Amino acid sequence: MSDAIAFLEPRANVMARRSIIIEDLADMLPPECLVHEARELVPFETDAFVAYRRLPLAVVLPKTTAQVSAVLKYCNRYGIPVVPRGAGTSLCGGAIPQEDAVVIGLSRLSRILEIDTFNRTAKVQAGVTNLAISDAVSPEGFFYAPDPSSQLACTIGGNIGMNSGGAHCLKYGVTTNNLLGVTMVLVDGTIVELGGKHLDAGGYDLLGLICGSEGQLGIVTEATVRLIAKPEGARPVLFGFETSEEAGACVTDVIGSGIIPVAIEFMDKPAIEICEAFAKAGYPLDVGALLIVEVEGSEAEMDAMLALIVEIARRHGVKTVRECQSATEAALIWKGRKSAFGATGRIADYICMDGTVPLSQLSHVLKRTGEIVEGFGLRVANVFHAGDGNMHPLILFNANDPDEAARAEAAGNEILKLCVDAGGCLTGEHGVGIEKRDLMRHQFSKADLDQQMAVRSAFDAQWLMNPSKVFPLDGRPETRAFSA
Amino acid sequence: MQTNFTEAQLTDPHVAASEKILRRCVHCGFCTATCPTYVTLGNELDSPRGRIYLIKDMLENDRPADREVVTHIDRCLSCLACTTTCPSGVDYMHLIDHARAHIENTYQRPLMDRLIRGVLVAVLPHPQRFRLALSLARLARPLAPVLSRVTALKPLAAMLELAPQSLAPVAKAVTVPVEKPVRGRVAILAGCAQPVLDPGINAATERLLSRLGVEIVVPKGEGCCGALVHHMGREAAALDFARANVDAWTREIEAGGLDAILITASGCGTTIKDYGHMLRLDPAYAEKAARVSALAKDVTEYLALLDLPRLAPQNLTVAYHSACSMQHGQKITLQPKLLLKAAGFAVKDPAEGHLCCGSAGTYNILQPEISAELKARKVKNIEATRADLIATGNIGCITQIATVANMPILHTVELLDWAYGGPKPAKLSGVAKA
Amino acid sequence: MSAITINTTSEVNTVPMSAILVPVCEEEAAGMIRAAAAAGRRLQISGGNTRSGFGNRVEADAVLRSAAISGIVAYDPAEMVMTARAGTPVAEIEEILLENNQMLAFEPIDHRTVMGTEGEPTIGGVFATNASGPRRLLSGAARDSLLGIRFVNGQGEVIRAGGRVMKNVTGLDLVKLLAGSFGTLGFLTEVTFRVAPRPQTEQTLIVSGLLDEDAARAMALAMGLSVEVSGAAHLPDNVKGRFLNGRLPEGAATVLRLEGLSASVPVRAEKLTAALGRFGPISRIEADASAHLWHQIRDVLPYAGDSQKPLWRVSVAPGAGAALVLAFRQHAGVDAFYDWQGGLVWMRMEAEPDADLLRALIPRFGGGHATLMRASDALRASTPAFEPQPAPLAALSERVRQTLDPAGIFNPGKMGA
Repeated sequence: MSDAIAFLEPRANVMARRSIIIEDLADMLPPECLVHEARELVPFETDAFVAYRRLPLAVVLPKTTAQVSAVLKYCNRYGIPVVPRGAGTSLCGGAIPQEDAVVIGLSRLSRILEIDTFNRTAKVQAGVTNLAISDAVSPEGFFYAPDPSSQLACTIGGNIGMNSGGAHCLKYGVTTNNLLGVTMVLVDGTIVELGGKHLDAGGYDLLGLICGSEGQLGIVTEATVRLIAKPEGARPVLFGFETSEEAGACVTDVIGSGIIPVAIEFMDKPAIEICEAFAKAGYPLDVGALLIVEVEGSEAEMDAMLALIVEIARRHGVKTVRECQSATEAALIWKGRKSAFGATGRIADYICMDGTVPLSQLSHVLKRTGEIVEGFGLRVANVFHAGDGNMHPLILFNANDPDEAARAEAAGNEILKLCVDAGGCLTGEHGVGIEKRDLMRHQFSKADLDQQMAVRSAFDAQWLMNPSKVFPLDGRPETRAFSA
Repeated sequence: MQTNFTEAQLTDPHVAASEKILRRCVHCGFCTATCPTYVTLGNELDSPRGRIYLIKDMLENDRPADREVVTHIDRCLSCLACTTTCPSGVDYMHLIDHARAHIENTYQRPLMDRLIRGVLVAVLPHPQRFRLALSLARLARPLAPVLSRVTALKPLAAMLELAPQSLAPVAKAVTVPVEKPVRGRVAILAGCAQPVLDPGINAATERLLSRLGVEIVVPKGEGCCGALVHHMGREAAALDFARANVDAWTREIEAGGLDAILITASGCGTTIKDYGHMLRLDPAYAEKAARVSALAKDVTEYLALLDLPRLAPQNLTVAYHSACSMQHGQKITLQPKLLLKAAGFAVKDPAEGHLCCGSAGTYNILQPEISAELKARKVKNIEATRADLIATGNIGCITQIATVANMPILHTVELLDWAYGGPKPAKLSGVAKA
Repeated sequence: MSAITINTTSEVNTVPMSAILVPVCEEEAAGMIRAAAAAGRRLQISGGNTRSGFGNRVEADAVLRSAAISGIVAYDPAEMVMTARAGTPVAEIEEILLENNQMLAFEPIDHRTVMGTEGEPTIGGVFATNASGPRRLLSGAARDSLLGIRFVNGQGEVIRAGGRVMKNVTGLDLVKLLAGSFGTLGFLTEVTFRVAPRPQTEQTLIVSGLLDEDAARAMALAMGLSVEVSGAAHLPDNVKGRFLNGRLPEGAATVLRLEGLSASVPVRAEKLTAALGRFGPISRIEADASAHLWHQIRDVLPYAGDSQKPLWRVSVAPGAGAALVLAFRQHAGVDAFYDWQGGLVWMRMEAEPDADLLRALIPRFGGGHATLMRASDALRASTPAFEPQPAPLAALSERVRQTLDPAGIFNPGKMGA
C-alpha cells in the first residue's frame, strides 16, 4: 500500500463512539442494509484506485431516499464523516473511506423509475448502472449518451459525482450536459429537487455545481437524464499509423476541418497489444498507433464523412484503414477499447492518468509522457479520447514492489503537471479524489481554491462529506489534523 | 492488485496458484455488474470483487473460514459470468474452488446445514439412490410449505418442490444402428442426475449421432463427474470421482481410441474440461486427466464439426437459454444457436442472457430464496421473447426453469434429433407444428 | 489606468451618472470592487447593457460595466475554442467565427428585440444570463459551451475556474455556477468557450395547420427519430404571420430544422417528411430563409417592441407546453408560441393576470419555471422575475451567494431574496 497521499486523522470522538454509532444505525435500517463486522468491511476499503485503502467505520446500503436522509441527518448531528459510494469503480480513489467514516452505498437504489420517450427523459435511482439506462431505452430507439469505459458497472450517481465522460462525448457531451434533474439529500438530511424534465432549472445552476462535485455537496438518490435518439447507423473505422505523432496530427486536422465524428480514440502500440489480447477485435498489430474514429448517421452520411476523414488521414501517412463490416465487429472494437484498463491487469498493475490537454499539445505531451515514464524506469501504455485531448497514460508497474509503486506515482504526478503546464487540466473525467488532491495547487491559485472551498462549506459546514478528497488537506477551512 | 503472502505461505501450491490469480485483479469492479447475486442483493460482499477480497483477506492471514465469509462464498452460484466480463482474466473459478475447499477444511457448519449437504452428497451423484429419493420426495411434497417456514429447513422444502411430478422409465439401450461409413467414435458421459431426471436427452443424442455415423461407447466404471461435490468444497471426493472417470475413459482411449468424450450436461462439461487442472498435482493422473480434458466436448461443439445439412425453416421459435456452464464455463455461445438455426428453428436470445437461472447445481436447494428470484427474472425474460419453446444445454436449468415457465423446455439435442429425423419429443405434444 | 466615466442614458435611473464605472482591465475592476466592498457600495453589474431589464429591479449605488474589458484573447479554430474578454461584443466574435466557418452552437438570443434595449450585447452578458437559442435542445445551453472563466468575486479577488479544454472535472464547477447567475456572484472578466463548425447546409420542414397539442406530438416524434433535428418550434396561427414577413404557408407552422453535411440533410429531410406526413401538409424552406426564420424565433420576434403586455418565458417538459397554455387560457387571455420541442413557451399576456396563477399551474404540468421578461413597472415591482424556490433551496442558494459576495454588493436583489 502506498502512503504518499495522507488522510485526515480519524476524529477521536467518532472513533470512541463507534459501537454506539453502529447500534444507532442498526435502529435506523433493516439488518441487511448495515455492514459492520470487521471482516465484511474489508471489501469496502478501496475502489478501483487500489494503491490506497482505509477501512470504514460502517457501511450502510439504504433502499430509499428517506433512509439516506435519516443516515445523513444522524451523521451530521454527531459530526460523523460520510463517504458516498456507487459501484466503487473510481480510478482516483473517490470512494475510498476512512476509519471514522460511514460509507453510504447506493447499490440498492437500482430501479429505473420512469422512461418518458415523449419528453426523451429517463428517471432512475442513483444506483442504476450507466449501461442499464441505455439497455432499458434501446428497444424504444434511444440511448443515454455519456459512456465511461466502466459503463457496464458504474452507477449514474457516481457519474454525476465525477461528471463522467466517455468515448462518445466528443459529440454528445459529458454527464453535466445530459443531466436534467436530481433528487439530492443535503448533509443535514434535507431532501431537495433540482431541475426536472424541463431545461435549465431556475435560480443558480446548482445542478451544474453538484455535477462533478465528488460527493462533497450531498448525495444524489435519483436522477432525470436526457435520452437521445439512436443514430440510424454507426461505424467505427480503424486508422493505423507508423507513429503516435502522425496519429496525433491527424486528430488535430480532422477536428480542425470542421468534421466532428462521434468519437476519436487513440491507442499506442502497447495498448493495442493489450486490448487485442482480451477482445480479439482485429486491431492491426503492425502499427505504432491506432485511431478508432466512429461516424454515425445514414449510410450516405457516414460515407461522406468517412471520405473526408480518410483523405485527411492519407495526408498524414495512414498505413492501414479498416472499416468495420458488421455490428458484431463494431461491438468487439468498442469492447476492446472500453476494457483497456482492466485488460492491462493481464500484464501488470497500473495507475491511470486522466489529464486533458489542448489538441495542439497532444503530440508534445505524448512524447514527453513517454520520456517521463522511461525516466522512472517504467513502461507506459496510452489509450485515450484523442478528439477532446483527454489523455489516459497507463503507467505499468509491479504493486508488490514498493519502490516501483512509488516511482509509478511519482511519474504520474510529473505527467499531470505536464498536462497543466501545457494548458490543460489534472483530470478530464475521472475526478480528483485523493489521487490528484495534492496536485491541485499546481493548477489553481490559493484564491481559486479558497473560493471553491468556501462554496463547498456552504453545503457542508462541518466538511463531513467525502473527507480527505479533492482539496489539499492543508489550507482547508476545517482544521483537522492529517497524517501520512 | 498488491498481495501480502509470505514465502512460506507460497510453498503451498494451492496458495501459490491463488496468489497468481489475485495479482491479476485490478479491482476495476466490472464483474459486479454481471454477477447475479450482486444484481439481486446489491451488496458488494455478494459480488465477485467482494468475494475475491474476502478470500484474499482470509488466505493472506491464514485464517480459518468464519460465518461471514462462508455466508458470502456460499451465495456464489459459480456461474462464472464474472470471468466472461473480467477484462483482466482473473481465474475466479479456481479461486472460489480453493476457497470452498478451505471452508470445508476449516469451518464447521451448523448441524442442519451439514445434514442437508451430507444427504445431497450421499444421494445426488448416485443414480439409484437419487431415483429412490425422488420417489420418496413425491410422497413428501405436501410437507414443502410447512418446511419452507423454518429457515434451516428451507432447503428441504426447495428439494421437494424441485422433484418432478413423475419420473421417466430407466433409459433403454441404443436402438438405432450406426450409419456407415463411421465418421467417428465417441464416449458419452452417462452422468448421474440427468439419466434419472430426463433420460430422453442422452437417448436423443445417441439416436442423432448414430444416424450421423458416429459410433458411441459408454465405458464401464464411468459415473458422476464430481461437479456436485466439487462445488460444495469436497475436494477429495471430487477428485475420486474424477479419477474414476479418467480411468474409465483412459481404458477406452487405449483400447479402441476416442475422438471425443461428449457431455450433454454443460455443468458436467465444465468440470470434466477442468480435470487436467484438478489433478495437476497428482503425478499418477496429471497427464491422463489432461488428455481426458482435451477430448471433452459439449455435444453441440461436436455436432458443429459434423457439418449438418441446412433444413427448411420450421414455423417454430426457440428461446435459447445459454446455461452459465455453457457460456461462461466453457465459452460456448454460438454453436448451439447455429445448429438450431440450421435445423430450421427461429432462435431468440432472451434479455439478460448472461444472468444465471438460479439452478447452479445444488444452489436451488441450498440458497432457495436467491435462486427463486433469479428463476423468476429468467423466466420473465424468456417469456418476453414470445417464443414457442425453450432450448438449453443443461439438465439443471431444465429442471429449474420447467417449474415455472409456461412453455416447454428441452435440451438442444432433443430438438436437433427431432429435426433430423428422430421422433417428436413428448414434451412438444400439443405445442409444435413442424 | 483609471476608470472611464461615460455618459449614457440607458442605465438605471437610481444611479447618478458619475457612478458608472467602466474599468478597462480586470485588475482595475478588482480594485473598484474592493473599494466598493470596503465602502458597502452596491454595484449594478452590466456588460453591453442590453439585458439589464432582465430580473428583478436592482437597487445599486453605482454601475459596473465590463464593456471596456474587451478583445479576443485566443482563438485556434482547429481546437474549436475561443477565449475572449467579457466585454467583447458578440458581433465581433460572431464575425471572426464566421470567417473561420464556425459558430456559437447555442445560438445566443439577442435580447434587444424583445427587451427593447439598445447597445452592443457582450459575450460576458451572454454567459451571465445563460442566453441560449433554439439549438438548446440539441447542442446545449450557453453554460454547456462555457469551458472556463475569470471573474472578480465580491471581495475583489480574481478567481479562475475551469480551463480551455473540453473535458475538465478538476475541482468544483464554478463555471456552471457563474453562468446564468446574472452578475450576482461575480464580475466576469474573461470567458473561454467551445465553438462549433458551421453546418454545410440547413433546411426547415414546415408542417402546416396543426393544433398546439398535435404539434407537440409531431415534434416529439421528430425528436425521437434518428434525423438529428436541431430546432423544433411551433408557431400558432396568430403569431405565424409575423415570421418571414408572412411568407410561411397557411395555418399554424410547426417547424423542424435539419443541419449538417450537404450529403445528408436532404436524406434526413426525406425521412422526416415520410414520418410526419400523417400530421399535415409539409413544405420546406432552404438555407437562407431557414436561417432567417430561426433567428426570428430565437429573438422572439412576434413579441418584439416596447409593449407593456407582460411577457413570460416558461420552461417545462416539452410535452407539457401546449397543455399548460391550454389550461392557462381557462383563466386569462394569452398569446403563445413554442420553441424547444414545446418545452420553451413564450407567453404574452393580454392583461396582467396574477403571476401566481401561472406559477401555480406549472407544478401541475410536471414542474418547470417561469421568468417574467417584460411587464409594466407595477407588475414588475410586485412580481419576482425568477421562479421562487422552495425554502431549503433558496437558503442554500443564499449561502452559496454569500461565499462569493459576502457583502452583498453585486446586483442586490436581482435574482430575488
